[in-house]
Amino acid sequence: MTAITSPTAPQPHADLDPLTDADFRAAVRNWIAASYPQNLRSPPKRLHAAEAMPWYRILSQQGWLAPGWPREYGGMGLSPSKLLIMIEEMERYGCARLPDTGLTMVGPLLIAHGTDAQRAYHLPKILSGEIIWCQGYSEPDAGSDLAALRTSAVREADQWVINGQKVWTTLGMDAQWIFVLARTDPQAAKQKGISFFLVPMDMPGVKVRSIVNIDLHDEFAEVFFDDARIPADAIVGEVNEGWTIAKNLLGFERLFLGSPKQSEGALGHLERLCDHLGKSGDHASLLNGLRMELEDHKSFYTSFADKVRRGERLGPDVSMLKINQSALYQKITDRIMDVAGELGTLAGQLPDTPTLYPGSVFLQARPTSIYGGSSEIQRNIVAKQVLGLGR
Amino acid sequence: MAAALATGEDRLEGVRLLVESAAGIAPRDGDLKPVRHLRFGRPGMDRGRWSEISAMGWLGIRLPETAGGAGLGMAEYAALASEVGAALLPEPFIEAQLALDLMGKDAPAEALSGDKLVLPAWLDTPDGLTLAGGITEAEGRISGRRRFVPMAAAADVFLVVSTEACWLIDAKAAGVSLEIESTLDGGHTATLILDGVEAKRLSAPDARALEAAALATASALLGLMERAFAITLDYLKTRVQFGQPIGYFQALQHKAVDMEIEIGLTRAVLRDAVETFDTGDDCRRITSRAKARAADAAMLVTRQAVQFHGAIGYTDEADIGLFLRRAMVLAPRYGSAGFHRQRYGGLREGRP
Repeated sequence: MTAITSPTAPQPHADLDPLTDADFRAAVRNWIAASYPQNLRSPPKRLHAAEAMPWYRILSQQGWLAPGWPREYGGMGLSPSKLLIMIEEMERYGCARLPDTGLTMVGPLLIAHGTDAQRAYHLPKILSGEIIWCQGYSEPDAGSDLAALRTSAVREADQWVINGQKVWTTLGMDAQWIFVLARTDPQAAKQKGISFFLVPMDMPGVKVRSIVNIDLHDEFAEVFFDDARIPADAIVGEVNEGWTIAKNLLGFERLFLGSPKQSEGALGHLERLCDHLGKSGDHASLLNGLRMELEDHKSFYTSFADKVRRGERLGPDVSMLKINQSALYQKITDRIMDVAGELGTLAGQLPDTPTLYPGSVFLQARPTSIYGGSSEIQRNIVAKQVLGLGR
Repeated sequence: MAAALATGEDRLEGVRLLVESAAGIAPRDGDLKPVRHLRFGRPGMDRGRWSEISAMGWLGIRLPETAGGAGLGMAEYAALASEVGAALLPEPFIEAQLALDLMGKDAPAEALSGDKLVLPAWLDTPDGLTLAGGITEAEGRISGRRRFVPMAAAADVFLVVSTEACWLIDAKAAGVSLEIESTLDGGHTATLILDGVEAKRLSAPDARALEAAALATASALLGLMERAFAITLDYLKTRVQFGQPIGYFQALQHKAVDMEIEIGLTRAVLRDAVETFDTGDDCRRITSRAKARAADAAMLVTRQAVQFHGAIGYTDEADIGLFLRRAMVLAPRYGSAGFHRQRYGGLREGRP
């Protein structure tokens, strides 16, 4: 990468979209280096909302929390090209992932489909960090087959009454509100009878229980609705339009499910592990082969990112990027366990080297081929929608 | 498809037109009977088609116009190589181009016009990208040996390449002998033995010409696997077993997706490699990535394509086998996947 000159520090809430890409990158890079809380750099686990809040507030004060939202709603109004730069620079520095569901999902949802009142109430609270959101999609019997969901919303006078259960709700224990897909027409074809609701989690009839993941981290939760009564205006969009709205929400964010970041982090881990064991020479060929695969994946990623930069819509072929990313990530973590030997059996970080935690890295790589559409579902999508192999 | 290898709108349009114009000579859906007809014959290529190729201005595509070339770049060359690869043409397009690149302004006009086929002889080991020494020169005559000269029986002139110089020799000159062996794809390769052969000395080879040949070969492999996959997809949609097209079976669908991923990866890496080459930067690392990926991917795709065809895929009669056999010949040319992985590792550690 070419040397980066030092521009003047960007003012909070300034419009940065007119900058050249190079100047913008430099501004972002310098600002992150000056502003990011050092104790949160490259955390070994997904941070809880309370842990991530210092960084959330710093971004909030700078006006950089919602790079993709239009400026009139308090976002940065960045073009896709600059948005990608921003994300690349954050990944590069090892910035922790925020409890970002409100920023990446609820905000764009309300901007596109919400009422003025919904926007006026919710958007400022997302931008201030007052309300953290979580997503109520999956259910015990509706995972890959999400449209089979059974949580119901029944209209009674000026209220909707919600009953059912959501599961795999990331950071569900940390959130104050949840957006829920619920069935509003049990007679309709399964995608056609679903609506989209906004539900506060501290109301009667809503209960949350945390779920400990395979890495022993309470990262997600299950949420129960037992006659939870929400006002009529808690629906987003029209009744029975929820499925279409949810599908439209999956815009270019799908690109990030295939980001090389996780594989890059894992390969860095493997390289440090080899160094730690004094075995970099022994494993040179292994490391080199994986490095080439990672660089190839970056080329693959760039070919899709370029589409986003040109303002094109991503097609179903972007699923291939996620399949390849998760496979490479898991291949690298397989090798980490192989190289670690007995060190791979230890729970948590290595006692003498806390930056190494081989067993955890391996376990953390498991869900990438499951969440956001499993690799098998992604292959179904590509087979049918790209290759034309469907019925 | 190949057009996606270029970046920038104007360039992309130029490449698109070039690829369109290639369809007359190297059609993606053409009948493969003429290709079959030339298999295992000598010289194993069609001089008529060679004349058409030169008439299209493909020879010397990267040479500057002052040297009689077309003055185009790697993006255009790679796009054409991809079409030649997809059409399974036996003509030594990339080898002739390598000779022209190595000769530069010294390239004889007959080579550019297609009247004389000049083929390079650069190897003494099976490591496809390693220039050899071992040619001795005395009073304008050279002696020595070169191995693995593709399509040598078709050459009018050889460009003998050594680490310190290149020499032009007439293929029929006294002291030239060829030991020809058939290759899997129906072409051939030869050992060229030189015993006091009258030679015209040219300057030392520019190693970048070999990088271009490696990238063009990767691109030919991309075209080849794209077409093999298209044929296979058609088969999956039309072959009926258990009362349905076999492409309805999920086990086959998922394998087909993995083939598409390999093709997509190859295309993405090649695009980056071609762009790097055209900027004039050191492109050896990314060339190695492109050639390694293309070789591995082409083998995976063509092997799986045969598997999807079932027993018919195992016959000589089925065209799909032609793609596997050509892939087996192109995969190691200008360096196998293993060779390029090793080179990449060496370059990363800063070895020259």
